[in-house]
Amino acid sequence: MKRDLKMRLSKTDKKELDKFTKFLALKATEVIVQSRIGEKVTTPCKSHSSGPDWFNLNISDLPEVVIEAKKVLNSDLLLSKKFPFCIEISLRTAEGDNMVLETWCAQLLNEQCDPNNANGQTIYNRMGILLKSLVSVTRVTPAYKLSRRQGPDSYVICYRMYMDEPLHHCLGEGFKQIRVGQICTAIGTLQLSCAYRTKMTISPTQTSRDNSILLKSDHFNTNLSPKIRRYSQSDDRPSSLSETMKIGAFADRKMKHFEEPQLVDMPFCTFFADKLSLHESEPQSLATSPDNDRLNGDNMEQLTNDDVNEDDDTQNVEKNGNVSTQPDVSMVSTGDDFIMVDLKTPFAKPPGEKFELTKFFREWQQAPSLETFKDVPPVDATDLQKQLETFESDLNEFDSIVQTLCQNSPNNN
Amino acid sequence: MNARSQLFELTVEGRQADEAVASIFHTVLFHRSLGKFLYSNESSYSVSSVGFTDVDCDFIDLTYVCCSSNTLNRQVKQEISNFSEQLRSNESSGVGQITLEFFQRKPGRYLFLQPDCIPWEVWTVRLQLISLENEGERQLCRERVGDHLTEKILYITEVMNRQDYIPKMPSRSEVDLVFDTSFPDVQPYLFKLNSSISGPSSGTSVGSTMRKFIKESLNL
Repeated sequence: MKRDLKMRLSKTDKKELDKFTKFLALKATEVIVQSRIGEKVTTPCKSHSSGPDWFNLNISDLPEVVIEAKKVLNSDLLLSKKFPFCIEISLRTAEGDNMVLETWCAQLLNEQCDPNNANGQTIYNRMGILLKSLVSVTRVTPAYKLSRRQGPDSYVICYRMYMDEPLHHCLGEGFKQIRVGQICTAIGTLQLSCAYRTKMTISPTQTSRDNSILLKSDHFNTNLSPKIRRYSQSDDRPSSLSETMKIGAFADRKMKHFEEPQLVDMPFCTFFADKLSLHESEPQSLATSPDNDRLNGDNMEQLTNDDVNEDDDTQNVEKNGNVSTQPDVSMVSTGDDFIMVDLKTPFAKPPGEKFELTKFFREWQQAPSLETFKDVPPVDATDLQKQLETFESDLNEFDSIVQTLCQNSPNNN
Repeated sequence: MNARSQLFELTVEGRQADEAVASIFHTVLFHRSLGKFLYSNESSYSVSSVGFTDVDCDFIDLTYVCCSSNTLNRQVKQEISNFSEQLRSNESSGVGQITLEFFQRKPGRYLFLQPDCIPWEVWTVRLQLISLENEGERQLCRERVGDHLTEKILYITEVMNRQDYIPKMPSRSEVDLVFDTSFPDVQPYLFKLNSSISGPSSGTSVGSTMRKFIKESLNL
């Protein structure tokens, strides 16, 4: 092929053709990308005084696109095997799903060539017509209408460029191919084509594939992209919750100091005490009981960070529905070949990160009580205490009742 | 020389007529317009840049591109409006056609003769009007006509990129024989718009071609 080239084209002709092709690819990139920004494009006709434009067509240059395109394109396009040059347009939903909509491709078909067509001016003029065709065609493919309707809450249109055979497989079944135009040159036919998706259903498997080459995302409407929106939401300072917290109309405005729950003074303290002692005395009775040595000993620090113990406590309260002092829930089998499975609270952040829900929960616990209920006498703790004690003293009696019941019904195991 | 001829047939609602024709003709004119030529001597010149504008149709699901030239667009719009008004008038049968004809002039061989106009490319849009009952049908028609025009625009670009005859770039003295230099910002190839309402007509292009044929025969 290289020998053929030398035969057909003089060095200057080849250099000229290379230059034209490079600028055609650059301008084509601008046309395609700008048509997917989501806005109508208008460029004025220019007079001679403002200097010449490539191909006598006023296509404004987006600096970012020029930089990206130049990274992919380089000189000696036609000789190097780096053609075809592809521009892929894809859609990304606010949820992060990606769908490739179309692939524009500039390539050189070696099989067809016109040895007589070495006239630079003719090729240049034809390239101008090809670019105009591209401008017209970019407005009528399905992706154009989609790009005009893009928005931060629904989806954004992204682009990327690569030097390779067009990846048609990511356009789904039944994709269509159109030819924008072609130019016969001495070394082959330069063709501009587009393949576009016809089935617009997003499937979950269509996540981003090979992003290693070059991925330019969020180019369009960067200020409004959903990504940035989301970040700005999570950037809210953790203190915002307490600042915005509303105090009840008749509530005591003094913030109540949060106190760790004291087991001793609570009405059901003996109940809790029994439960805890059961664990301590019979650790092996439950196959998945927490290994108290690990939880309560020095090893505790290995499981959680010191500084987030408080947060974890409240997480556990929320999850278990009762007050527990365990910093984390672990399941440890008691065998020699035990496997420790750390149970993470679903949707909770890993230890070490402040959790908004924790903050909220804490605020909720500290909420001042309503003034209306100030005068209501608290539940008499001593009465309950006495009742419980009576029940405990009658424990033997209850046991005997249970036993007689069991004896009366032999089927009951 | 035979002029290339393309015919597009469309069925549209009355209010879509202007936009349907405009989308086709502006796409053609965009391809057939260059920047203004500035000659430095008889044979060498520089060319200014053509700008372009996206146009959203009101009654068709379509966006097309035209040259950013108010004067050119005004002229085309006027011609299309005249055609559309006639087509939609009560006297009309609801069928009509409008042609965009590119031609070049040949200097008259005799002083008393007008320069010959030799067409080299003719684009014809033949419209048939339909009336629709409700908004549901209108919505479907919007999309259908949009899809049809998309096909036509793709076809136009295909034709434009063929290696067909285009008049050669003229020298300074002959520029007016090839290009319409009356516009301040663009320089389209010489063109004219003709329309007829009651069905397909013989067409000016055929007539002028015949006239030229006879004249050239006599001169031989």
